[in-house]
Amino acid sequence: MTAPLPKRIIKETERLQTEPVPGISAQPHDDNARYFDVTVQGPDGSCYEGGVFNLELFLPDDYPMTPPRIRFLTRIYHPNIDRLGRICLDVLKNNWSPALQIRTILLSIQALLGAPNPEDPLNEAVAKQWKDNQAEAIKNAREWTKLYAQPKE
Amino acid sequence: MKFGQEYQQALANEDFPKEWRESAIEYKHLKKCIKKVHKELQSLGLHPDTLRRMSEWVGDSQPEHQDSKDYYSATAPTLSSVPEEFAPQLRVLVDGKTGMPLDATLAPETKSALQKLAKHEMMSAGRRDYLRIPQPPSNHAVRRSSVVSVLTEDIAEEPEDARWVQLPLASAKNFYDMLEPSVQELEVLREAETAKLEEDILDLGDAVENVVQPVREGMEATRKMNYRDLYFWREMFRLYTEKPIFYSGTEARRGAFTFTEAKSRLQAYDTKLREIGLLDQMKTPQARLAAQQFLDLNVKILRIMHFQEMNARAMTKILKKFDKRTHLEGNVFLKDIGTKHPALLTNSGKQGQLQSPGGFANSIARDLNAEIASKVLAIVPQPDDWDCPVCYSMAWKPVSLGCCKSVYCIRCIIKLQDEGMKRCPVCNQETVMKADGRNINFEAMEFLQKYFPMETRKRQKENEKAALVREHGEAFVKPGCAIQ
Ligand SMILES: [Zn+2]
Ligand SMILES: [Zn+2]
Repeated sequence: MTAPLPKRIIKETERLQTEPVPGISAQPHDDNARYFDVTVQGPDGSCYEGGVFNLELFLPDDYPMTPPRIRFLTRIYHPNIDRLGRICLDVLKNNWSPALQIRTILLSIQALLGAPNPEDPLNEAVAKQWKDNQAEAIKNAREWTKLYAQPKE
Repeated sequence: MKFGQEYQQALANEDFPKEWRESAIEYKHLKKCIKKVHKELQSLGLHPDTLRRMSEWVGDSQPEHQDSKDYYSATAPTLSSVPEEFAPQLRVLVDGKTGMPLDATLAPETKSALQKLAKHEMMSAGRRDYLRIPQPPSNHAVRRSSVVSVLTEDIAEEPEDARWVQLPLASAKNFYDMLEPSVQELEVLREAETAKLEEDILDLGDAVENVVQPVREGMEATRKMNYRDLYFWREMFRLYTEKPIFYSGTEARRGAFTFTEAKSRLQAYDTKLREIGLLDQMKTPQARLAAQQFLDLNVKILRIMHFQEMNARAMTKILKKFDKRTHLEGNVFLKDIGTKHPALLTNSGKQGQLQSPGGFANSIARDLNAEIASKVLAIVPQPDDWDCPVCYSMAWKPVSLGCCKSVYCIRCIIKLQDEGMKRCPVCNQETVMKADGRNINFEAMEFLQKYFPMETRKRQKENEKAALVREHGEAFVKPGCAIQ
């Protein structure tokens, strides 16, 4: 038997539906309320503009004592996101606090798309390109966005 | 139906107070004024076509004049505004020596008319203002006494010697003089009505306070009754906040609703209340009375919004008409009016632009929405206001760590300690491990017991159960104070 869903998760899910964050959606699975399908739009003015990125998000049993687990499903050219879609973001690791929420985490991820940080790389190859030739890196990111992150009709 | 008719009919039929109607925008008269502007322009030889062509010519800047771009863009036949005393004028650039207009697209008769005017002005000596900055003038005195005033640009070294001719447009001034005081009156009306409604809101606050007041000393007999009413009011206000009537503060949409939206939202709210029969269930007559007072207040706000929004639409329409008929830029008026009455542009996106035609209705919606929230809704606290930031259940028993104002439930603090998470989840200071019985927030505890008797009892049971489960570990009991 599965434990009843904590009030916190119920409330967070409700609020994500009633007060969605612009450019972000998070939909729980019918058969697993701890597993969410997430989409994040590339921020305007960034090299991911126009792209819609799919992510998966999972709330572990001891959430919110531990952070949600989240990764990109859509391929993305970004120095802080590796080939498996794992994200290097401090609030998902050491700086996690139980007062943060799904909403704030997704906003941080959207912000990370707007401000790639090659100094703290997860994807070494991309980070190197970003440092050696930023124009080229941005061009690649745009191309990948066109190639992999086009919104489905 | 034409807007003008629609507007007059609505004004007459909507049962607005007489003094409101007297402040309304005089759409019909303004329309007549536009006709006069049109005539005046024609008498100056400036046909709408000419004006339009002049605007177009200035619009696409010509490459050979790149270096004097500012200068040329300033030749646009625009109405210029003077902050202190607004007087619409037409400005045309003429050659400094001959008085010939430099705008090649002017009709010949216009040219000769302007030439005459300019020469006349040059002869009346001593009237030379220097236009040093080629930006549209902002601080020139308007001399309405002279038919034409010439502003000479001191540009002897420039290839072209040119000067400005300003044509004060008496009829356009009349138009403005009629429009502006109406807006002024609408603003006065906004202030007066907002103040009245704020009084109403304060009265209502007192009434609500009286009926939901948690049990006082010696009043235990009526305790049950009051608790019931407290919960009815809470539900009534929760529904009100969940789907706000006048103003939305969510991330997706921030701003006032239009009158039509607000009206249907209020209807939906009213229907909902009837469905669950909240008003009928209220125990005391005072409670029912206050509830009716609350609904009436909303209707009153809706009515002033309606009136203001209609007027704002009339203003937008008449300015559009002005543009269309005269090809002078009426938005100069709007800019000027907007500077004088910033509340008119509450909902606007870009500066000086009406995004939704709500006018003063928007600021009324915003201000009174905030007023109701702080003076009435706040009297009945909602359980959400007392959610523990970690588990999102009521923070019972309430614990404060002393580092910030956050109030946690005791269970979550115990859990954080068990997990060795030292930092306050909200402010990040290392205060968690030091917490003990002395961190119970007794003030909050008393408050919660008063306002949430049912919720606190339920949470207390949950806590006791959780404590039993945890019993096998160490107890959260520090010397001197037993918590559970
Ligand atoms: Zn808690
Ligand atoms: Zn704190």
